[in-house]
Amino acid sequence: MEAVERLAGILDKRNVEWEIYWEEGKSASFRIERERIERAQWKFYSGIGLRVGLNGRVGFSYVTGLDHDEKSLFELVKRAEKLARIGSRPFRGFPTREKFPRVRGLYDKSIDDLDFDEAHSLAGEFVERMREMRGERGEYTLAGAMSFGTVRAGIVNSNGIEGEEPRTGLAIWAYAVKKNSRSGSGYASQSYTTLEGVHEGEELIRRAMNEAESSQRAEKIEGFSGEVLLEPQVVEALVYLFLENLYGDSVYYSRSRFSVGDLGKSVLSGNVSIIDDPTLGFSPGSYSFDGEGVPGRRKVLISRGELRSFLLDHTYGKLLGLDSTGNALRDFRSIPRIGTGNVLVGRGSENLGDWSGVVVSKVFGEHTANPVTGDFSLTVELGYVVENGEATPFSGNMVSGNVFEALGSVSRVGKELERRGSFYSPRIVTEVRLV
Amino acid sequence: MEDNLFKIAERTADKLGVGYFEIRISKVKTTSVLIQNDQLDELSNNVEMGIGVRAFKKGWGFSSANDLSKAEEVIKTAMKMAGLSRGPEKIYLGDPIRDSVSNLGEKRLDDVDISEKLEVTGKAAELLRGENVKNRIAGYGESIIETLYLNSLGSEIRTVTSRVRLRIASTAFEGGKTGEYWKSFGGTGGWELIERIELERWADFVSRKARELLRAKAPPSGKFEVIMDPELTGVFIHEAVGHAAEADAVKNGESIFAGRLGEKIGAEELNVVDDPTLPGKFGSYAYDDEGLPGKRVEIIKNGVLNEYLNDRETSALLNLIPNGHGRAQSYAHQPLVRMSNTFIEAGTWEPEEIFEEVKYGLYMIGDKGGEVDVATGTFTFGAKEGYIVENGELKVHLRDVSLSGNLVEVLRSIKAIGRDVKIHFPGYCGKGQWVPVDDGGPHVLTEALVGGR
Repeated sequence: MEAVERLAGILDKRNVEWEIYWEEGKSASFRIERERIERAQWKFYSGIGLRVGLNGRVGFSYVTGLDHDEKSLFELVKRAEKLARIGSRPFRGFPTREKFPRVRGLYDKSIDDLDFDEAHSLAGEFVERMREMRGERGEYTLAGAMSFGTVRAGIVNSNGIEGEEPRTGLAIWAYAVKKNSRSGSGYASQSYTTLEGVHEGEELIRRAMNEAESSQRAEKIEGFSGEVLLEPQVVEALVYLFLENLYGDSVYYSRSRFSVGDLGKSVLSGNVSIIDDPTLGFSPGSYSFDGEGVPGRRKVLISRGELRSFLLDHTYGKLLGLDSTGNALRDFRSIPRIGTGNVLVGRGSENLGDWSGVVVSKVFGEHTANPVTGDFSLTVELGYVVENGEATPFSGNMVSGNVFEALGSVSRVGKELERRGSFYSPRIVTEVRLV
Repeated sequence: MEDNLFKIAERTADKLGVGYFEIRISKVKTTSVLIQNDQLDELSNNVEMGIGVRAFKKGWGFSSANDLSKAEEVIKTAMKMAGLSRGPEKIYLGDPIRDSVSNLGEKRLDDVDISEKLEVTGKAAELLRGENVKNRIAGYGESIIETLYLNSLGSEIRTVTSRVRLRIASTAFEGGKTGEYWKSFGGTGGWELIERIELERWADFVSRKARELLRAKAPPSGKFEVIMDPELTGVFIHEAVGHAAEADAVKNGESIFAGRLGEKIGAEELNVVDDPTLPGKFGSYAYDDEGLPGKRVEIIKNGVLNEYLNDRETSALLNLIPNGHGRAQSYAHQPLVRMSNTFIEAGTWEPEEIFEEVKYGLYMIGDKGGEVDVATGTFTFGAKEGYIVENGELKVHLRDVSLSGNLVEVLRSIKAIGRDVKIHFPGYCGKGQWVPVDDGGPHVLTEALVGGR
């Protein structure tokens, strides 16, 4: 990349440490309303983000586009240097070179190569499925979207790190509303790294319609406290709430319940293990290097209830006296921020198919919960009461509790993992309160 | 450059049979400062330019690039994409508008050096210090956006708008317990909005609240009479009414408000308004991102559903008068029907009278975000704190209070609306894209489900 080489050339002549992160991408998306493609879009983006380390401080700035002359690149360097001089952001140098793992299925040429007509025709097939599945059932309204994206990301720093990687993505969602005297709604989505995902469109429509049907029949039920079966979407809400306590910056700035001294302690139920793994093949949360050029690596965060690792980037790793876990996420417009790759909740041995009692399938309102205290109250979008093998839908209740207690009292864990984008989880049984 | 691009666009439109197009070219300058404890966590200062083009044939096509050398490709791509879509038959066009609007406030943000912004943010973080306060955050963000809007009707609108926001937050820890509180300030305008903040007073307030929450109890659960403070009223009306009144959700048959204009849905005293023309608010604008003037909308008037928020497409489709609510996050996003500043208008009750009305209920304060399913009308939102109210008096202090309810039921249950309207709760609304909004209202008494322990 010419601009990147030129920029590196300018930086090499200055007495600074530096890191260049660049991206070039495109995305196409088709928005469907009432079983028609109403809006189609195609976007192009590219840019260069520069971090400069100077006298123990760091500054960041970016430019959009990859085509820049010497003068515009020099101005970028001056801006980043100015911010490094006036700021005092903690800086512990940039990472050094390590071997990147080989991660399979990050890039699918057939997504990259799609032209308008091909992408449109794939979205058209998805719409056609919607029309067929809706058929004459006028009480249903279907909406959705199909998006394709390709990005080439690269990093170079003054410690010799050099990486470049193309990644592709496909995202599909379907939304169904069922109306009669009252309304019900259902939603299903999935993301993929290859074009193979288009074959699952029909299944997503079916799930959204089934959910809308259940949602329309669902009534609020009597509240109680006790064991319930949580489906993966609900487990996801609780696990991400919990994970906010494992982010290195939260730990460093005392916004976490945990400190470095808690590593090795038992903090959740012995039935719970949580892993972050950006090296999984064909998974949307995967990468072979993170936003600082640190190799993506699998790490056990919680092993049978025991706290094993935090999620760290280079800076907060160093500030806490630990190594980066390769969890710096970013785009060219932003400095690296700590995030997750693919999060997996360890599977158990039970099939839970014989569960009798309350099942909570979908909740919303996660962002009103408090990750530090762990207290949550979420609205149940959909759940079921299973009695004698028969499932009756319910909704509108709130499920409340404390995330540390809820994940601390998990008594049973299913043996089948369900993937929701970059989150993988079995069903689990724990104690909460239904209001 | 723009004349040339416009000519290319006209030629391409002719060739491809595109009936309508619009071009937005923006220059965006942003500055952000984030300080945690006394450590600078983020300091950035950037400028970018980009172009977004939208075309209408039998549906919408859109393309964008953050690299103006791709402008021609973007124009052609948007127009080709429009030919592939099959959406609405018609859109509202109207007359061309030529205007130039500047909204940079009294003291331009780019005349203030970044070191001063850093200093004020640092001072705010410092002022949050206090017993048991282990985490202090002060975040400053500003944007200055210059946009040239052109469309095939001949509109040419130049706007330059600056927005600024300061957020302070404290987390207190003691004996395994935590308390968290925050407050945001800001609006559309310049540095004067920051200078007017009484930092000492508010920093002290936020840290004191964080400490007090250490001793606050978990709320009871069940259905209660609930008094919402102006900030919570704001998030309630935004989530529960505002989203359901967005005409795209109505058009798609997804909103619970679809087909119900003219229907009585709330108390006689209830008036809900969305108004982008309020001066200086975070959600204010002169023109929306479809080049239409933003207008005040009376969503609910005297308890009756009166008007939807709409854009070029939905106003034509639903036969409504256009009210300029098509907003986009940036030049790289397509406009969607969005809110601006949404609020409940003043009622007739003094706040004290509302409290006297409650024998046993909850007073819930502050906005911790919310979410709604517009199809069923089920919503949920969080309050920063609360109190149990007994015979009109505040009793036990409560933390982590979330409310849930059904929009239709809660609107019907409104028993009292205060006179004390406040609209100064700047925030962002997400609907696949983020746009700045404000909301508020007076104290309101209703009934809702509280999720406690």
